[in-house]
Amino acid sequence: MSRLLILPVFLLVSLLMPTGLKAEESLPDLEALIRQVETQYNGLSSHAVARMDIQTRNWQRSLVMEFWSWRRDRFLTRILEPAREKGVSTLKLDNEVWNYLPKVDRVIKVPSSMMGGSWMGSHITNDDLVKSDRIDQLFDFTLAQENAEIYQIVCQPKPQTVTVWGQLVYTIDKQHLTPQQVDYFDEEGLLVRQIFFDQIRQIEGRSLPLRMTVVPHDKPEEQTVLTYEQLTFETELTESFFSLRQLKQR
Amino acid sequence: MLLKLAYFNLWRNPRRTLLTLSALVVSAALLILALGIFSGMMADILSSATEQYRGHIVVSRPGYQSSRDLFLTFDQHSADWTLWQQPGISALAPRLRAFALLSGVEDSQPAELLGVDVDREPLVTRLLPAVQPVGGVAVSGRAWVGEQLARRLKVGVGDELVVMTQAADGSLANDLLTVAGLFNSGDTGRDRRLLLVELTWLQGLMVLPGRIHELAMRVERPLYAAQLARQLQEQLPTHAPAKGVALEVDDWGRLLPQMQEAIASYDVSRAILVLILYSAAALGVLNTFYMSVLERSYEFGMLLATGMRPRRLKNLILLESLLLGSLASLLALLFGGALTHYMAESGIDLSDSIGPITYAGGSLPPRLHAVHEVGNYLIPLAGLLLVSLVASYLPARRAARLQPADVLRGN
Repeated sequence: MSRLLILPVFLLVSLLMPTGLKAEESLPDLEALIRQVETQYNGLSSHAVARMDIQTRNWQRSLVMEFWSWRRDRFLTRILEPAREKGVSTLKLDNEVWNYLPKVDRVIKVPSSMMGGSWMGSHITNDDLVKSDRIDQLFDFTLAQENAEIYQIVCQPKPQTVTVWGQLVYTIDKQHLTPQQVDYFDEEGLLVRQIFFDQIRQIEGRSLPLRMTVVPHDKPEEQTVLTYEQLTFETELTESFFSLRQLKQR
Repeated sequence: MLLKLAYFNLWRNPRRTLLTLSALVVSAALLILALGIFSGMMADILSSATEQYRGHIVVSRPGYQSSRDLFLTFDQHSADWTLWQQPGISALAPRLRAFALLSGVEDSQPAELLGVDVDREPLVTRLLPAVQPVGGVAVSGRAWVGEQLARRLKVGVGDELVVMTQAADGSLANDLLTVAGLFNSGDTGRDRRLLLVELTWLQGLMVLPGRIHELAMRVERPLYAAQLARQLQEQLPTHAPAKGVALEVDDWGRLLPQMQEAIASYDVSRAILVLILYSAAALGVLNTFYMSVLERSYEFGMLLATGMRPRRLKNLILLESLLLGSLASLLALLFGGALTHYMAESGIDLSDSIGPITYAGGSLPPRLHAVHEVGNYLIPLAGLLLVSLVASYLPARRAARLQPADVLRGN
């Protein structure tokens, strides 16, 4: 009899405890904040056209791409320009990433060892693209600084989390609840790269930064700028749109 | 006169002389054989490290060998410079290297693509199977894939591979390759990540037309590659076109420092081996000569009594010993040379019991095999002469100090 009671009571207590604590300290829910920032471009589903300008020491180029997403789990992007690479597509299915190469009409899976590698030659990694690092779930948060304009949140990986990052620092605009800047540190605490967000616009009732600039810290003369040209949410897309078959067909 | 006397003295007791002689000959001959096999192992390791993949001397832009930076390229026409047509260099081959994602039947793997000239590369390294007729293979490029990489990608000869990487202009490079052959270099690290492709195909893929990363060379005397590399480096500025980029000439010793250490440590172990073996031989010789001096006390006393100077007597004994040593050297040279020659020609195959051993950046094939090297003969033979001199010095001194009156009276 007593055994039957223990479980519900335990559950009740564990549910009440954290929320009770949060209310007392009147802290913002950091996890929710980060989750919102991390999923700002996703929504339930989204469709976008963006332009990517990449500047490196050896070359520079621009790509125009179309994006589709479904929750956080499925993601498809296709190159529209330049013509030589038109149709090259990337599909994220849960935790797997596939590339479709129209020139040779083949699908190639990105091995997990290369998820940290560059996506399409930019300073954005495959990991960034698919948000396979679920920051809000895999990291612990502390509020490092707060003033009238911003929250600064330090994210540290939970002990069991496997990630290349030692620490992330988010600077979040209080008014719009959009990110201004994210600093990425490696396991030795050295700054690796920074992402800056700006050009905040209202889109379907959400405030969103339409421009994202990625700067690697060791090569400050290089950068990747991703600018959203069109962005719509809650499209008619369904989960089945994001499949390997679709990847090949289009 | 003294020499003749010494020679006759040696054969006055043939059994004693022959015993000493055989001890010297056997130890020196076996030492020559052991050093030959040792050198053979070193040559095997060195050739696996250099002749399979790197080459003995490599010319590239400064910094390329450590960074493998795609953009550190130079003009492939530099392969035709007259600078390279000098004695000592037996062949050279241009190469371009890229890193790419490869996909086979289902799995994909990161890999190193080495673009080679299929006609010239086999003259420098051995990974590429001898040039194959082009027939049958169609539009796409041909690839020779490391066996373990092929296994991971689940492909065999004739299968297709998808290559995806980033070209030098930033664009997304992708193409198909057909597996033309597999190789097994014995170095698992290499077999797991390397594939050879045609140079022009890779230049096209990477948008680097006419560009290469390396000139790999084969030289006639690999152990002296460092000297040759230095010479080439000095002559380079006068040969390279004025607008040419700076190039660096590296020998295998700089590319594979651990290999150079292994070879340096071989020289030390060779010295230790010689020392140990000859300490034993020297004691034997010392014993024989002491006994013979004791036995011949009467004779020496007579010589001294008839007016021979003690110094001359000492020299006589030393000369006897030196003669014995020379004779032993000659026989050891013949005998040891014959043994080494047999091991160089036939060798002993151990592949039934052990596999190749990876060591110091190279791999050691499972065989015992000797090579001829001048040092391996000179050192044992010089050691032999030295030992016979040193070991006879004490007995000779003793003989020279004999008091003729005492000796003669004693008998």
